[in-house]
Amino acid sequence: MKLRNIFLQPTAMLMAITMLAPLAIIVVYSLLTRGAYGGVELPWTIENFTRLWDPVYGIIFLRSFWIAAVATALCLVLGFPLAMFIARSGSRKNLYLSLVILPFWTSFLIRTYAWMFLLRDTGIINSVLQALGIIREPLPLLYNDGAVILGLVYGFLPFMVLPLYATLERLDPSLLEAAADLGARPWDTLVRVTLPLCAPGIRAGAILVFVPCLGTYLTSDLLGGSKTVLIGNLVQNQFTASRDWPFGAALSLALMAVAMLLLFAARRNGEELL
Amino acid sequence: MNRRTFLLGAATAAACSRGARLNVFNWSDYVAPDTVPNFEREFGLRVRYGTYESIPEMLAKVMSGNSGWDVIFPSAEYIQPMRDMGLLARLNHDWLPNLSNLEQQFQQPPWDPGLDWSVPYMHGATGIVYQKSLGWEPRAWSDLWDARLAGKLTMLDDPPEVFAACLKTLGYSLNSSDPTQLKAAQQRAIAQKPLVRAYLNAEVRDQLVAGDVAVAQAWAVTAAQAIAAASERSDGVSVSKLAFSFPSEGFPRYADNVAILRESSRQEAAHRFIDYLLRPRVAAAIVETTHTAACNGAAQDYLPEALRSDPVLYPSAEILSRGEWFAPQSAAGQRLRDRLWTEIKT
Repeated sequence: MKLRNIFLQPTAMLMAITMLAPLAIIVVYSLLTRGAYGGVELPWTIENFTRLWDPVYGIIFLRSFWIAAVATALCLVLGFPLAMFIARSGSRKNLYLSLVILPFWTSFLIRTYAWMFLLRDTGIINSVLQALGIIREPLPLLYNDGAVILGLVYGFLPFMVLPLYATLERLDPSLLEAAADLGARPWDTLVRVTLPLCAPGIRAGAILVFVPCLGTYLTSDLLGGSKTVLIGNLVQNQFTASRDWPFGAALSLALMAVAMLLLFAARRNGEELL
Repeated sequence: MNRRTFLLGAATAAACSRGARLNVFNWSDYVAPDTVPNFEREFGLRVRYGTYESIPEMLAKVMSGNSGWDVIFPSAEYIQPMRDMGLLARLNHDWLPNLSNLEQQFQQPPWDPGLDWSVPYMHGATGIVYQKSLGWEPRAWSDLWDARLAGKLTMLDDPPEVFAACLKTLGYSLNSSDPTQLKAAQQRAIAQKPLVRAYLNAEVRDQLVAGDVAVAQAWAVTAAQAIAAASERSDGVSVSKLAFSFPSEGFPRYADNVAILRESSRQEAAHRFIDYLLRPRVAAAIVETTHTAACNGAAQDYLPEALRSDPVLYPSAEILSRGEWFAPQSAAGQRLRDRLWTEIKT
């Protein structure tokens, strides 16, 4: 055995144990029958997959896609200027990059709760606006789709900024100078030179944001007030209140299949993702 | 000495060196801070204490039959299912002399009349918490469809509870599994949804105290905690800006019980722990901490007057007679409810 292969063994085993084995369990569970109080029982069935065609679940999938797509687009719009700014900030790059990563030092749950305190009727934003006399009645900031999207954009913005930064940082400045020399105004340079060259970073960032947004359940629960379910909540419900593990397994496989399709669609011939 | 006896001996030695240990798996915030330490001190047993937030979470762990837990706290409607699954150990009443401390209504509870598998621990009801500043008192579930509450009303994020409120407004049993009745209840929930600010469980407590929420469907324990937190003393009397009502159409009652897992190899220690919890003073301390009503009648003598006469914790027998216990759902009923619930949320 080559030396290289020996050193790969631990990683290969880790992947097999932590990824393939659970995935295999999910596949097996999705083909079994629901136990009355959780768990799974024989006989084998594909009913959990045929149930997916029920329109009510189609609506939930579409809604989840819509929310994730809006959040991804907003992350791109907000993240691109930020990544550009960091890539061009010379010696302060590392400071700004650390600031982007800083929120990860606190759990996402805690940070989402912090948003609840900001957005509540008696929260900081409404209290300040009322004290300043700008509004009389509190604005309904919490418990709507806007709050869910805000929470997602806030949580996943770094996943967009970092790959964008990586491509922008590698961008050859002489290309931009050449564009200027040839008479392109800054806007033309951005749209016709910088953005096309950044396409791999944009695709990588979009996938890194879109896929976790698609599976989110915490944000829609806490900031959306559980008024609408996303796929993530639906899966979670199957394993808790509904105690329908096989259907939950089938749902998560469907979600995984969609995410995989997106990954393949976003990948260009032979191009690396990151 | 063959290999197996050696391993057995080594395992026993390891167990002894750590001291005998009891594993207690309870809901979060369901004992007083000194309940477990006092037990450890008195009985010389170490307790590994874990908590869960929902019955499905607990069930998922103990269903394997080798979870490592000894004592658990299932809700009343799960006693029969857990018996059917062979998870519970039969209780030995000789080791539970304090059983007599239980309130009369819990000496023969409907879910386990002989107390053969479980001991009632804490109980409560689901009702309506409201701000007194509202100007009117929501006294019935049907009041929660009042357009004046738009954006200021929360319901529980718990399918049996929301179905219970809707079914009761229609005059049906909250345990109904009849498709026509459940679909009618679903229509009620959908009609109510535009008024609903959010579906919240215990989190609603802070928002009631802060004033974000005017009216909430809530568990008595959440209500009692919110009412206490929103109290101000004036002229030496404690007055809260929140109040609780037991809906006139009838309401769900719930009870959590202590039980021992069949897998447990520490049956005697587990019984001792349950008997310890049945002591009036121990139970009273837990009531004071958690603001939950104990099923322990003798504990009432050790409660401060304010708690003993708290109408949220200990309502009159007349009010309680309107309550209905949750019962286990059939698989078909459960599945229909899941489906209808998903539609409500879509």
